Amino acid sequence: MAKVSLGSALRRWIASADEQPADQLRFNAANLDELLRALFAHSPQLRGYVVDEHGRLRHHVTVFVNNTVVPSKTDLSQPLEVDSEVYIMQALSGG
Amino acid sequence: MSERLLLSTRKGLFVFDRGAQGWAQQAVHFLGDNLSYTLCDQRDGSWYAALNLGHFGCKLHRSSDQGESWTEIAVPAYAEQDRVGGGDGKEPQPAALQLLWTLAAGGADQPGRLWAGTIPGGLFRSDDHGASWYLLRGLWERPERERWFGGGYDWPGIHSICVDPRSSSELRVAVSCGGVWHSQDDGQTWTIRCRGMRADYMPPELSEDEAIQDPHCMVQCAKDPDQLWVQHHNGVFRSTDGGALWEEIKVPPSSFGFAVAVDPNDGQSAWFVPAVKDEKRVPVDARLCVVRTRDGGRSFQQLRSGLPEGPSYDLTYRHALAIDSSGQRLAFASTTGNLWVSEDQGDHWKQISGHLPPVAAVAFC
Repeated sequence: MAKVSLGSALRRWIASADEQPADQLRFNAANLDELLRALFAHSPQLRGYVVDEHGRLRHHVTVFVNNTVVPSKTDLSQPLEVDSEVYIMQALSGG
Repeated sequence: MSERLLLSTRKGLFVFDRGAQGWAQQAVHFLGDNLSYTLCDQRDGSWYAALNLGHFGCKLHRSSDQGESWTEIAVPAYAEQDRVGGGDGKEPQPAALQLLWTLAAGGADQPGRLWAGTIPGGLFRSDDHGASWYLLRGLWERPERERWFGGGYDWPGIHSICVDPRSSSELRVAVSCGGVWHSQDDGQTWTIRCRGMRADYMPPELSEDEAIQDPHCMVQCAKDPDQLWVQHHNGVFRSTDGGALWEEIKVPPSSFGFAVAVDPNDGQSAWFVPAVKDEKRVPVDARLCVVRTRDGGRSFQQLRSGLPEGPSYDLTYRHALAIDSSGQRLAFASTTGNLWVSEDQGDHWKQISGHLPPVAAVAFC
């Protein structure tokens, strides 16, 4: 099962009742799109913070798969292995 | 001590002078315009005001008579083939000037030399008082730039430029998010210099990648230039060897912030204006304070005398904390439009204004 980690500002939207710690979420998924769907089914509140209404990664959200950045905000078909590690982070701005 | 302050704000360049009655607003230039930075060039007294006019782009103006008159001069420009992007998954696009984030004067032996740090990540040099600029391709074309990315902005940017007082051809620049870089040949060739820094926002195995570090601000001690301080996204880092190695320093009540100032006469003395954390950019417990160390980060004082006693939500940007050449007088301002000055290294503060536009930068002149 692919493992998912989230940046600090996103962790707060992980469903709190879950038994898994927020930094050890694991899902069965053949590709990144499937993994995000499973993640959002698990934590529906998270969806709007990671993708827009069309399912595209938000402009300031970055996804790494096995420490390599996903080079597109729209093409999420990247295959995953059972031991893939996915890291989702976000930039923040303002003062 | 410096008797004048230049404040670059969202709605103009505000000049404050210290007279018999204390500090008072003396002039406003470019009223209504958004200023990102103002350089007071100590070599010849010129002022350089960097404007970010949004729909109309970035502009640069020079005054040789302390603001009595201004002349619009050239701005740095990228070439047609220059591209930016990639490090955070944003699709690469043509590079165009988006922000004049900082300006720095060259050495006393380099009249007319100016440096400009920009978003999307180019360092530019002028040798004619800003009449023309060129991109330092030795840094721009480093392969590590492909891993740079924007922090708060869409694209990476250079916000800190330190010209070494011992040798004007030696430079250190800091990039959000692209690490700290060092040149010994007037900016022609560069090496990365942020060993010891870490980035908790990255996947764990990439957290020590030097090329993705997010220094928010870097300052260098004038009298002891091997002493450098960085307020980083993940904390405070200090180097005592010119940046070859950085040591993390834990700062109470929070190591998060944007601004840092170092005493020009004592590299062990530094000041910070902390906030809670990146997703909560307000003072800890809503109690604004300035934090000072005088022993290289072994101990800290939380300075509050003269600062708001009640709840405060001020945030100080990276260029909005300044120290004058004496090392005694400091000033800082906030995005809430407040300005404070201390005459005694931060032991006591006095509010000079509470009605300014959001402040991007404060400079003694």
